[in-house]
Amino acid sequence: MNVLITGAASPLGQKIVAELASNHQLRLLDNTIPDIKYENFEFIQGSLVDPSIVSEATQNIDVLIHTGEPPPNPPQDPLECEQLLLDLATRGTHGLFKTAVDMGIKRFIYGSTLEIFASYPDDTYISEFYKPLPTPEIYQMARYLGELTCREFARTYMVTVTSLRLGRLVLEEDVADRDLDLMWLDLRDAAQAFAGALKRDQSSSV
Amino acid sequence: MKKKVLILGASGNIAPYLLPGLDPYYDLCLTDIVPHPDEKPIINVDITSYQQVYNVAQGMDAIMNFTVVRDDPDQSFHVNTLGAWHVMKVASELGIKKVVHTGPQSIRNAYDQDFDIVDVPRSPGVEYYGITKFLAMEICRAYAREYDIQTISFVFNGLGSRPTDKITEQDFPPFTIIWEDLQLACRLALEIESVPENFQDFNMLSYEGHGKYSVEKARQILGFEPTEKWENYFKRPIDDL
Repeated sequence: MNVLITGAASPLGQKIVAELASNHQLRLLDNTIPDIKYENFEFIQGSLVDPSIVSEATQNIDVLIHTGEPPPNPPQDPLECEQLLLDLATRGTHGLFKTAVDMGIKRFIYGSTLEIFASYPDDTYISEFYKPLPTPEIYQMARYLGELTCREFARTYMVTVTSLRLGRLVLEEDVADRDLDLMWLDLRDAAQAFAGALKRDQSSSV
Repeated sequence: MKKKVLILGASGNIAPYLLPGLDPYYDLCLTDIVPHPDEKPIINVDITSYQQVYNVAQGMDAIMNFTVVRDDPDQSFHVNTLGAWHVMKVASELGIKKVVHTGPQSIRNAYDQDFDIVDVPRSPGVEYYGITKFLAMEICRAYAREYDIQTISFVFNGLGSRPTDKITEQDFPPFTIIWEDLQLACRLALEIESVPENFQDFNMLSYEGHGKYSVEKARQILGFEPTEKWENYFKRPIDDL
C-alpha cells in the first residue's frame, strides 16, 4: 500500500518507517529532515499547515498515518511552543484530513496518548470506555484536540480512523537503569501497533 | 463595588446588544479589533495575541468571550480555538475565576433531527465554525476543571430583538433568544458562585413551544427564565402580503 507518514523525522516516525518499510511504499512528511538517509522513500519537507505541501503529500496515498508527534526542534519560548503545538494539532490535523479525504484517502491512523487519562487516580483501571480527562498541559491537550478532530472526520465521511493512545515513548535500552514507569512504551512496540492498525484496517467490513 | 468584567469581541454581532443589561451592574472593559457600532470606547485587543489578552485582563473579575470567525480556514482556528486557549490560560495565570464562553448550536448538529435537546454529546462535524468552537469548549472544560475557573458556555441558535412587528414571510426564527433574555442570562452567569464540574454549557432560547431545544438546564442551574411567552409569538398580527 501507499502510506503517508507525518512526523516521519521523529523517533516514533522513524520506528514506524522501519516497521513498514519492507511491505509498503512509504512517503514521509516532516518539517525537519531526519538524520537517517532514506534512499527508497520520497521525503517531503514542509509543515502540516501549508496547504500546498499537504496537497502534494496526500496524492496517490491509500493510508495516512498521522503520528501527531511534536516537531523535533520546537520554539525555545514556552508560549510560542504551546501555540505551535496547539495549532498543529487542530488546524494542522484538520487541514491534513480535509485534504486527504478530498484526495480519496479512506484509512487513517492517528497517534494519540494515554496521558489524556492522567487526571484519573492511579488506582483506577482505565479502559477505552473511559472518558478522557486531559489537563491543560499542552502535550496532553494537543493530542486530545487532535483526536477529537480525527473523530469528526470519521463521523462525517465514509472513512476509518484508528486512534492509538500511546504510553510514554522510550527505548528500552535508554531506560534500563531507571525506576520502572508503568506508562512506558518502547518505540518499537508502538511502531508494531501502527502496523497492526494498518493490517486491521484492511478489513472491508470495518 | 461593581465587578470588573472584560468583554472580548465587544463590537461584534452580540455584545453591543447586551450593554443595556450589563452596564448598570458591572464595570465593563470593552475590547475588540474594530470600532464599536455605537462609538463606545474600545480597547484594541486581538484575541489571537496572548500578551494583549493578558495585559487587558489584569485586575478583572470575569471574562466574557464573544469573539468569533465562522468560515475562514485559518482565522477560525486562530480566533475561536487558539483565542479560547488564550482566555483560559490568562484566567488561570491571573486567578480570574469566572469565564463566560459562547458558541453555536452546530457543535452538536448530529442531533438536528431530535427533539427536547438538552445536554447531548457534541458532534460538530468538520465545518470550520462548529469544530473550532467545539475544540474551544473542550479547552475551556479542561482549564475549568484544573484551575477551578467557573466557566459558563452559552450555546446559541439565533439572536435578535423582541419581535413586535407584524408576522411577515421571513419571520422571527423560533430558536432565537431575544437580547433582554440574554442580558439576564449573562447577569446570572456572572453572579452564580459555582457550576457542576466548574464547566457547564447551556442552550439559550427565548421560546420553547417548539419542543426542539430545552432551556431546562439553564433554568435549574442558573435560575434562567425566558421572558417571552410562546403564545405571544403567535398572537402577533399577520402582515398584509
